Amino acid sequence: MHADNGAAIEIAGLTKSYGRAKALDGLDLTVTSGQVHGFLGPNGSGKTTTIRVLLGLLRADAGAVRMLGGDPWRDAVALHRRLAYVPGDVNLWPNITGGEVIDLLGRMRGGLDRRRRDELLERFDLDPRKKSRTYSKGNRQKVALVAALASDAELLLLDEPTSGLDPLMEAQFQQCVQQVKREGRTVLLSSHILAEVEALCDRVSIIRLGRTVESGTLTELRHLTRTSIAVETAQRLDGMDGLPGVHDLVLEDHHARFDVETAQLDAVMRRLAPLGVRSLTSTPPTLEELFLRHYGDEQAVAR
Amino acid sequence: MNGAGHLLRFMLRRERFGLPWWLLGATVLVLVQSTQSQNLYDTPEDLAKLRESLGGNTAVVAMSGPTRLLESIGGEVLFEIFAFVSIVVALMNMFLVGRHTRADEESGRAELVRSARVGRRATLTAALTLAGLANLAVGVLVFAVTVGTGLPVAGSVLFGAALAGVGCVFAAATAVAVQVFENARAAYGAVALVLGAAYVLRAAGDVGDGTLSWLSPIGWGQRTFAYVDNRWWPLLVMAAAIGAAVAVAMAMLGRRDFGAGLVRPRLGRATASAALGSPLGLAWRLQRGSLIGWAAGLFLLGAAYGSIGDSIEQYVADNPEVAEFLPGGAADIVDGYLGLTAMTLALIGTAFGVIAALRARGEETSGRAEPVLATATSRAAWLASHLVVAAAGSALVLAAAGFGEGLAYGLTVSDAGQAPRMVGVALGYLPSVLLVTAVAVLAIGWLPRAATALAWTMVGYCAVVALFADSFEIPGWLQRGSPFAHTPQAPLEALTATPLVILAVLAAALAAGGYAGLRRRDLGY
Repeated sequence: MHADNGAAIEIAGLTKSYGRAKALDGLDLTVTSGQVHGFLGPNGSGKTTTIRVLLGLLRADAGAVRMLGGDPWRDAVALHRRLAYVPGDVNLWPNITGGEVIDLLGRMRGGLDRRRRDELLERFDLDPRKKSRTYSKGNRQKVALVAALASDAELLLLDEPTSGLDPLMEAQFQQCVQQVKREGRTVLLSSHILAEVEALCDRVSIIRLGRTVESGTLTELRHLTRTSIAVETAQRLDGMDGLPGVHDLVLEDHHARFDVETAQLDAVMRRLAPLGVRSLTSTPPTLEELFLRHYGDEQAVAR
Repeated sequence: MNGAGHLLRFMLRRERFGLPWWLLGATVLVLVQSTQSQNLYDTPEDLAKLRESLGGNTAVVAMSGPTRLLESIGGEVLFEIFAFVSIVVALMNMFLVGRHTRADEESGRAELVRSARVGRRATLTAALTLAGLANLAVGVLVFAVTVGTGLPVAGSVLFGAALAGVGCVFAAATAVAVQVFENARAAYGAVALVLGAAYVLRAAGDVGDGTLSWLSPIGWGQRTFAYVDNRWWPLLVMAAAIGAAVAVAMAMLGRRDFGAGLVRPRLGRATASAALGSPLGLAWRLQRGSLIGWAAGLFLLGAAYGSIGDSIEQYVADNPEVAEFLPGGAADIVDGYLGLTAMTLALIGTAFGVIAALRARGEETSGRAEPVLATATSRAAWLASHLVVAAAGSALVLAAAGFGEGLAYGLTVSDAGQAPRMVGVALGYLPSVLLVTAVAVLAIGWLPRAATALAWTMVGYCAVVALFADSFEIPGWLQRGSPFAHTPQAPLEALTATPLVILAVLAAALAAGGYAGLRRRDLGY
């Protein structure tokens, strides 16, 4: 059943509706084995629905879904032995302690590494003796994280796992994921925290309204976007606004600030050079900008 | 205190669907009792005969109240119903105060409220006012139905006031409990313990010389001897208790941090025991508390029924019209009585089976089933874990009820054989209980959103058919839908295997059908 083709998850044309509401509308996603794959999208874009389909909790309406070489709906139990899951909204049994929950989930998956469990508890500074009802949101999330990370699952499905963690714990989490990656395991990381995705992910898929809008390595995605340039020249800057690929130009005699499409960067530089560049700063596009560019128009529609 | 008025209005709005049912329940209990008592004992001679037959029966006195009440018909109503309706009203107050104080604080809703221009004491003040208004309504309604059914005005005013007073005592006790404990469940547990103690103390007092009854709020209410002596001063005892408890609660509230209690929650185990390692281990852990409570409750109720079994014969001889309500008529009075009460116990026990099965649905909607089903746990194993607890638990609950009834009856007639006999009678209803539970499972599989409503409709239907078929003249075909109608009414009738096997097979089929639906559908909605 091992995925020899190098893909831990392969989704093509996945559709899922709840009544009339379309949660997924032809979603594509390929996660390569041994990589950390970032899964980005605004609230309600279908990230959690996708993960629930992968867990066999929801049945796909249409499309092809393969995970670890199996069918998530049909082979759910066999596949679940090989994966660990952290839900976005962690609900625990109020009367059961965190330590008990970690052991219970581990045993039901087929065993967990006691030493690693205790190490993780220390790392995340979590008291396992407290009843779950007394945990804050962040602490409930830590319980689920420890349960997942203490397993030796080959695939980790993490649905916004750090939304309740403080920066210190966020750093611990990043170290843990890097460790998982070094061990050659695969991670699907749905997230809102772009710095986290930039730090951890080999590839990123951006989804919107149940459809994949971008997918690739961060370098590839940056190519699709713009670099911000601030420049001061010896001669007056003229004719900049006519250039292809230049946007949001602010021009004042010898100073200019603008964004340029990565593909046009070379042409713009050739144009600037003869004018005598005195200073120039260029800022690479952040994932943030990438993200906002894809959702900006959605917000405009919402307004 | 700032903002208490607004909070009170908001609380009333939140209670507008729930509270009327509590008020209705308490009113109907009193209304039915008043009508029935006045029908059964409409002459002073009847009442005198009742005094003779019940006055010497310790069990009845322990269950109901002081025999002095039996000296007038109004007092007889109080004797029979006051302790029970007190429990209903006390629980109403406990939930009213608990829900709007500690439960809100625990969920974080109260934090939002307190961040507004609302004083530290406003929430508790508003919740206690709400409880006060609810108790006033109880008092007025009880007054209305007792006077309306022809009881004297002065006694009825006192009856209403005493009942409202008991309610206020428990509202105040809850106000203290929610300061002490950090979570609402623990506070409810403490108040329930106080309520249990109040009932037991008054039982012990009423059987003995009456001293212990003065330690119980229910005892204070009964010892107004409304309709007999019309004593008002026990209400002052209540007022003093209410004042003291509210003062303590307010003082504690003034000293504690938001969200904290006096008692720190205890730490639990750092690692899971060997038992907590499978879906069944989890289901057992989640339901064992409820199972123990149900088994103990039905054991006690069974014991209460059983303890008066022996007096029933005498009672029916004195009141031949009662025999009409017993399935065996006047001939087999005791067996008819034992059979009817065993069926009543089984009907109540059905609620446990249904609650246990619906737990699976609750786990699903709360999102707690998701991490379990993301492990190597199949849907079949997950559902089965809850159903095993439901089925085995139902058997245990029924056995406990039968054992309680048989033991208590056996003790009064010195017959050790009654306990195992009644366990057998009660277990005869297991297939019926399982069938009703299986209806819940079928609904969980195919109509999950309606499952809770459908399951309880089935329970209600079985109860109505079983208990009121004759008085409501329900047609035969409509009665036959209830599994209880197909269970032989032991010990009056012999338990035959065929109907029980058919019911059990049907239950298994429905449960399998429910699983077939669950296997197919999306989970978590």
